[in-house]
Amino acid sequence: MRADSVPAPRKTDGESYIGLIDANCFFVSAERVFDPTLVNRPVVVLSNNDGCCVALSPEAKTLGIKMGTPWFKLAASAQQMGLVAKSSNYELYGSMSEKLMSVLARFSTWIEVYSVDEAFIGIRGSLDEVQSLGRRIKHEVLRLTGLPVCVGIAKTKTLAKLACLSAKKVDVLAGVCVWDRVPQATRNRMMSKLPVDEIWGIGHRTAKRLGSMGILTIKDFIEADPVVIREKFSIVQMRTLLELQGTPCIPMTYTEDPKQQLIFSRSFAEPVTTRDEMEQVLGIYAQRASGRLHRHGREAKVLTAWAMTSFFNDAQVHRPSATVSLPGYSADPVVLTKAAKALLPKIIDGVRYARAGIMVTDLRDAGVHQMFDAFVSPHERAKVGELIETVRAEHGTNAIGLGRAGMRRGPSWQMKREMMSPRYTTHWDELLQVKAV
Amino acid sequence: MHPRRLVSAGVGNVPAGFPSPSQDYSDNKIDLTQLLIRDELSTFIVRVSGDSMEGAGIFDGDELIVDRSIEPRDGHVVIAVVDGEMTVKRLRVTSTAVILQAENSQYPDITVPELADLVIWGVATRCLHRL
Repeated sequence: MRADSVPAPRKTDGESYIGLIDANCFFVSAERVFDPTLVNRPVVVLSNNDGCCVALSPEAKTLGIKMGTPWFKLAASAQQMGLVAKSSNYELYGSMSEKLMSVLARFSTWIEVYSVDEAFIGIRGSLDEVQSLGRRIKHEVLRLTGLPVCVGIAKTKTLAKLACLSAKKVDVLAGVCVWDRVPQATRNRMMSKLPVDEIWGIGHRTAKRLGSMGILTIKDFIEADPVVIREKFSIVQMRTLLELQGTPCIPMTYTEDPKQQLIFSRSFAEPVTTRDEMEQVLGIYAQRASGRLHRHGREAKVLTAWAMTSFFNDAQVHRPSATVSLPGYSADPVVLTKAAKALLPKIIDGVRYARAGIMVTDLRDAGVHQMFDAFVSPHERAKVGELIETVRAEHGTNAIGLGRAGMRRGPSWQMKREMMSPRYTTHWDELLQVKAV
Repeated sequence: MHPRRLVSAGVGNVPAGFPSPSQDYSDNKIDLTQLLIRDELSTFIVRVSGDSMEGAGIFDGDELIVDRSIEPRDGHVVIAVVDGEMTVKRLRVTSTAVILQAENSQYPDITVPELADLVIWGVATRCLHRL
């Protein structure tokens, strides 16, 4: 039978859902992919300069170790506890994160990378379909990258977060939770066990105030009256409540289709509060966008740079953006970095920006109509961009960069990373060793 | 992820239809990645230490290209976890047993009852050997 004579499976449109995919203790898992001796052992990953614990395996948590515990307090007894510590291996985590996101991008054209180990995706289907899709995503990420993830699927982002948390905590869910498929009684039981500050967007202080009103668990909160919550708190907490009740209030941010547009955007671990810092961030992001354009063999005509305060920071809302038409089609990091700086005058010192991004649009295949372009910048003619890409390919992403982004690694020359594992995926001289014995 | 690569792997040397004008400008340099890597996402490169796979043309210090997306089958050269160590072996699946075979008579086979008892990290597809 010819392939095209097989009737296509009838596509049930179904409803649209939001999936949240979150890697299980990502840094530790990334280490474990390459070092099976770390499996089932207590492992911690340390912050810059081997300062304190920034990631813990469940086994390490069982030992009573907490996030932020300083390493010097653990070092002496580590061996006795069987505890393994690893210095942060940013190159490895970065490359594994990219692999994770690439798998997710195969399941949805609507992906919002939320952080290094987490992304929202848009999906459609019946409850059963999205459930099996969730399972497939979990299975494929593990199979292709070696990383274990949990998947939460629901009608809103906040519920997807909650579903993912449940997927992590409730063994029978096996790492995948479609919120609307869980029986109401089970949901209630789960929510009444979770404290209110486990809700995405409810901070410590809000949780305390809610507690004084007798709202202690997620179940208490979900049963509250949105109007009352708005009166006592603000629109932010009301939105969170409406989201938990099933009304989408927090939109997906930009979507990516490398044919039409290309985006590099991330939430910051710590808010960026100065124009100087933002200049560095934009430089790095513009150069990452340039790298991606090169890889896709595309060039852009328009660049948009934006920054935003946290969606949960109601007291301070600032979402500046700047769109620049480039002098010609380009993938050149110099051109893109320069264009991205158009955002800087709009950045206010002191505002706590939670996220920034670069989007390039109006894309075309690189080198197509070059002869018609009146304007080719001198460094483009000198192929600075290509040179940077070549140096990076050979010596790593941080070997060379433009302006302040090029200085990014400056302070890290002195950084202590004494217990760092090899950079298996980015350095030829640090490849994973396999035994032929 | 890399539509250009997928297309060129299939039809690169069989031009069909009218050539797109952009082909005049695309760089026609040989791209090793195109040949060696089927899917960048699931591909890892590892380095071999030891001589137990010499019969398969894999020598000490060679690099192997490992694709995690391939389902391991009888005859594949695989990276398997043996006693917590990453090991390269030939996978043999018979009706009665699953065997990890060395390609050097000085090394004994490792037999496991079932494939499920084995952690296979990936399937090696190419060996990079210096001449």
